[in-house]
Amino acid sequence: MAQIQNAFTLFLSLLVEAIPFLLLGVLLSSALLILIDERKLIQGMPRHPLLGSLVGSCIGFLFPVCECGNVPVARRLLIQGMPTSVAIGFLLAAPTINPIVIWATWIAFRDQPEVVILRVVFSLAIATTISWIFSTQTNVASILQPFLANRINQLPTKPLSPEPIRATSMLLQSGTYILGETEKPLRLDDNFNLLSTKITEPKRFGAFLDNVVQELRELGGMLVIGSAIASCIQVFIPREVILNLGQDPMTSILAMMLLAGMVSICSTVDAFFALSFASSFTTSSILAFLVFGPMIDLRSMGLMLSIFRPRILIYLFILAAQLTFILALVHSYLF
Amino acid sequence: MNAKAKFSTKFIYSGIESLALLAWGSLLLKYSLSGQLRLLIHPNYFGLVYVTSIILLAIGGIKAGQLFKQWRKNKLYPLDETIKHITLLPAGLGSSLLLITALLGWIIPPAPLTSHIALQRGVSDALFVNTRLQPQAFRATIKPEERSLVDWVRTLNVYPEPDAYAGQKVKVSGFVVHLPELPENYLFLSRFILTCCAVDAYPVGLPVKLTQNRSLYPPDTWLEIEGDMVTETLAVDPQQMTETTTSQRQLVINAKSVQKIPTPADPYGY
Repeated sequence: MAQIQNAFTLFLSLLVEAIPFLLLGVLLSSALLILIDERKLIQGMPRHPLLGSLVGSCIGFLFPVCECGNVPVARRLLIQGMPTSVAIGFLLAAPTINPIVIWATWIAFRDQPEVVILRVVFSLAIATTISWIFSTQTNVASILQPFLANRINQLPTKPLSPEPIRATSMLLQSGTYILGETEKPLRLDDNFNLLSTKITEPKRFGAFLDNVVQELRELGGMLVIGSAIASCIQVFIPREVILNLGQDPMTSILAMMLLAGMVSICSTVDAFFALSFASSFTTSSILAFLVFGPMIDLRSMGLMLSIFRPRILIYLFILAAQLTFILALVHSYLF
Repeated sequence: MNAKAKFSTKFIYSGIESLALLAWGSLLLKYSLSGQLRLLIHPNYFGLVYVTSIILLAIGGIKAGQLFKQWRKNKLYPLDETIKHITLLPAGLGSSLLLITALLGWIIPPAPLTSHIALQRGVSDALFVNTRLQPQAFRATIKPEERSLVDWVRTLNVYPEPDAYAGQKVKVSGFVVHLPELPENYLFLSRFILTCCAVDAYPVGLPVKLTQNRSLYPPDTWLEIEGDMVTETLAVDPQQMTETTTSQRQLVINAKSVQKIPTPADPYGY
């Protein structure tokens, strides 16, 4: 009975510490989501593959905190003409490269600042590398789900330079047309921007609030499940078992990566989750958890299936897992 | 599904959503006002939790108000589709989980962590005092009998020579842990130290030498102990929590008076 009470107290403690950060992240991301002009963002993207990958990994700073919000953003960016490799960098790095996530990690690991710094550095390095690798593949059809690739192939050749609407008659031209606000048929290819996200002023607050509640509900639910798992492991699994697993450099990293893949906890609060293992697991394995979890877990795999072909998802998984494992192992030998 | 049934399911989901927000907001507010937060997280973050509770209550209130209006008009506005989310949790599961945990939080009050956690996290590490935090307010001039248990551990951490403290007066409080590797007339007086929240609480403490068997004081009893410091040789391995052949000399409280006290409102050290 005392143990159940202990587990419950730990569970509550995790939730009470994590919910303010979750809320902060959700508020910030919802605000940015509505304020940022995605088309301008894509226009400013550098064309060099490596530089593009790096920038793609860093624009996570401007976008939602979690995978479930990021995946739709990546889809929109892809449809608006962002290179696929940049989108991959964005998807992998965005959950970690984010002010709220970095702050929460700092609070959880105040006495180990290297965890915070290395988390950012490793995540950026891995995301940029993978994004760079994918930039060699220019045929989007082999990466993306067919319906998405089709939409991108139909993009005008110069999608980012808005052309003036042609004054000639619409009647004899071929192509897809839409009815704009003036009720005059507009050629879709020339007016692609009308289809992209456009939020009118009075609707903004409503959209903001809806987004906040939606993300809180989804991420909060995952947080409850993750916290329950963490507190049960802490209380009910014998110390010897955990120490045996957690003190060996190899098994500890593998165990924490497996855990990261399974629990699918939101990156804003996964530092607190990891903290509950900090006393029994090696620092390298904690780092592996913090780097790998936000990139690949069961939930994000499910979400990314809506963008990538399954084969590409497997490549992503293998690359991210290998790089995380290698970097964590290097860390365990150097520090 | 006909339109009416669809309406009521959507309505129920939105209702649970608003209730979950309100329940969490009020629970956090209750923890803030009642001081129960001290059992859960480090005082640095009290303000953050307080603000969060207000924001959650506000969002929940607005959402509930919208829902109430729509219910009176008997029409649900379509969800704003400008921002699309792909959800993985089945509809209603996320908010239901949040609602249930908030209600559980209202029903079951948080309790201080017990000696079981101390043993699980390895209290004997603290026998040889390797606390993770550096001492923040180290005062050499403080009178020995005014040091708290945590102060003692920090002082020892800075200057770990047991003999330097022999003969000094002690008056400390903490909870009882029965370490199996200590002899029957010793108990371990412990406190948890928090750096972030209860999840990372780690126990520190000192062994206490009693005049009688420790079974008089069951685990988790809170005690105030007065006595003086002595050095003893105890056979405990700090890492494995097992008896070893090589014994180590360490500081022990020689108890002169042992008093049971109620669990304090702020049981943790920081």
